[in-house]
Amino acid sequence: MLKAYKKRYYKNNLQYILVDDSGCVLETDTLVLPVEKHKQLQTVHPFFEILNNLLHIDNECFEFSCINLDLESQAIIVDVTIHSESKNKNLIIIEDLTTHYKNYQLTAQSRNESIINSQVLELKNKYLLEKEKFKNNFIANFSHQLRNPITASIIFSDLLIKENLSSEQKNYLDIVQSANKDLKNRIEDILDISKIESGKLTLDEKVFDLKALLNDITEGYKHLITKKNLEFHVVIDPKLPEFLHGDAYRLKQIIGNLLNNAIKFTPTGSIALKISLNYERANKANIQIVVSDTGIGIDAENHEQIFERFKTLSSQIKNKGGIGLGLSIVKHLVLKLNGNIAVESELNAGSKFTCNISFKLTRYNKSLKKELIDNLKKNHSSKYNILLVENAELIQLSILKLLAKEGNFYLNIISKGKDVIPNIIDQDVDLILLSNTIENFTAMNLATSVRNLSKEYKKTPIIVLSTEAFKDNIKRFKQAGANDVVTKPFDKNNLLEKIDTILKSV
Amino acid sequence: MTVSKKIVLIGHFGVGKTSIIRRFVENTFSEDYKVTIGVHISKKTIDIADGKTSVSLIIWDLEGQDDVKKTRSSYLLGTHGFIYVFDLSRPATFENLESELKFLTENYPNIPIMVVGNKMDLVNKPYLTQNSSIFEPLVDFFVSAKTGSRVESLFSKLAKALI
Repeated sequence: MLKAYKKRYYKNNLQYILVDDSGCVLETDTLVLPVEKHKQLQTVHPFFEILNNLLHIDNECFEFSCINLDLESQAIIVDVTIHSESKNKNLIIIEDLTTHYKNYQLTAQSRNESIINSQVLELKNKYLLEKEKFKNNFIANFSHQLRNPITASIIFSDLLIKENLSSEQKNYLDIVQSANKDLKNRIEDILDISKIESGKLTLDEKVFDLKALLNDITEGYKHLITKKNLEFHVVIDPKLPEFLHGDAYRLKQIIGNLLNNAIKFTPTGSIALKISLNYERANKANIQIVVSDTGIGIDAENHEQIFERFKTLSSQIKNKGGIGLGLSIVKHLVLKLNGNIAVESELNAGSKFTCNISFKLTRYNKSLKKELIDNLKKNHSSKYNILLVENAELIQLSILKLLAKEGNFYLNIISKGKDVIPNIIDQDVDLILLSNTIENFTAMNLATSVRNLSKEYKKTPIIVLSTEAFKDNIKRFKQAGANDVVTKPFDKNNLLEKIDTILKSV
Repeated sequence: MTVSKKIVLIGHFGVGKTSIIRRFVENTFSEDYKVTIGVHISKKTIDIADGKTSVSLIIWDLEGQDDVKKTRSSYLLGTHGFIYVFDLSRPATFENLESELKFLTENYPNIPIMVVGNKMDLVNKPYLTQNSSIFEPLVDFFVSAKTGSRVESLFSKLAKALI
């Protein structure tokens, strides 16, 4: 019975060849290879040239698997076993395993392709990250270099406007201030887009006074919009909560960028800002921001494009200013806040941007608000000694003038890092303003040195004046011991508020 | 006089060993990657500059391995010369170059090895400079099977070293 099965399933895939020590065929069948008696086996395929080395070794067995024999008549894949025996007789067994190996080849092909593709992707990703890093470093360095001069320009313009200027001089200064603000915003925009693209944009969420924030915005923009002879209509829903929990700075930036965009593209007519409450649910308030204008409008086909970075539609950009980041930042910020944004617009028929964003509700109420406002009110009963550690002369001068105007600060200025500790010990310092551009010293090292002083001095508050604005930098300054960080360019109010808050908390 | 020499091409998969051989033996090139399983053997005779000697190169094109130690030892029996190929554009194929070569020199002493960076057409000079600490001390040839650049020279140099 078994014999019958064996006969039925027997595979004729084995060839036995007897050769002498030179490779000359003595006996053979032709089940796999077309081999002829008395011919050199080496002439059948170059693989058999290996016999020249092996057949002179007696009584050995050599196994070769998966040999591709590309013959004129066929391409086969075989295993070859060579038994080198004595007496000038050697047995060669060839097993045809073409089907088996071809199946294996398919598997190997897909495995190798997948590994190679993943390596190539990994490499591309690495190059992209390197490119991204280079770009971010470039932007950071570029903005770093601009921060000191812009800060000085902003502070001196703020100081100068309070002098007894002629109306013409005031007009000139208005232009300078407006240019300063514009420049500052553009640097912030470039940094923001860089943070967004590198995934480093984080939200600074805390309780904020929504109505005060909206009031600030409308007051600020009323001036800008009416100056352009446009009407400004503001509708604020009385049902809006007074306090919310979230990133107030980013909300202000979203509304501000939408209004800036409307101002830019509305030559005549009006701009409207409407803020309303969509709903309050699950301890969240969903608010709607609508900014509409009677400006030049946008073709329907360009509605998506306007949210792309550096995208300003060519016909619109002429003489309008801006580098095309405002709306891109708005879209990213709205998405970061888990909101949505839509645009309705037609060419020459104005535009309407609608955002819906949720913020957490908070337990803050009016009495707490009063407390908050009271806390913010300036009430210096005595003069404070401020130690300014800054090597940029323009900033030294700016802060000197700024604090002198306030009248309740003594300012001691040093520009060398090595003088910081002796000054703290010798003088009675209430607060240190520490620049991050001191030669040979980092702000982190200096802050750590202060925190390592004896009990009497180690708690002296430190505010770092930083040209580096990324969250990571700010975190590092705070980890080194800084109480707070003011990023350049800053204006008078930025700095005074921080100083005030810190002096009150100690 | 014709002498017969077995040379073996080894290296990671997908580095272009088969393409180098096809360029050398048939002067052809295909962009398509077809995995080699086991071994393909081809033959080409080249004349050495002295005009008297020809070398018949029996070229063993081995299945790519990410570790030379995994190579079937029977394939390497009677080898006269090695060509170790890596892909210049894929660092994974040359990051262990030194240890791979050490294995060969220790286990197959006195056998010439040519170390070859293939796919020269895909990289530029700054890239080579950037990786010069790996390439300079170890690599004999930068070739391109696609363009044919330096392929002929590679085999000629090895053939000379074998006689």
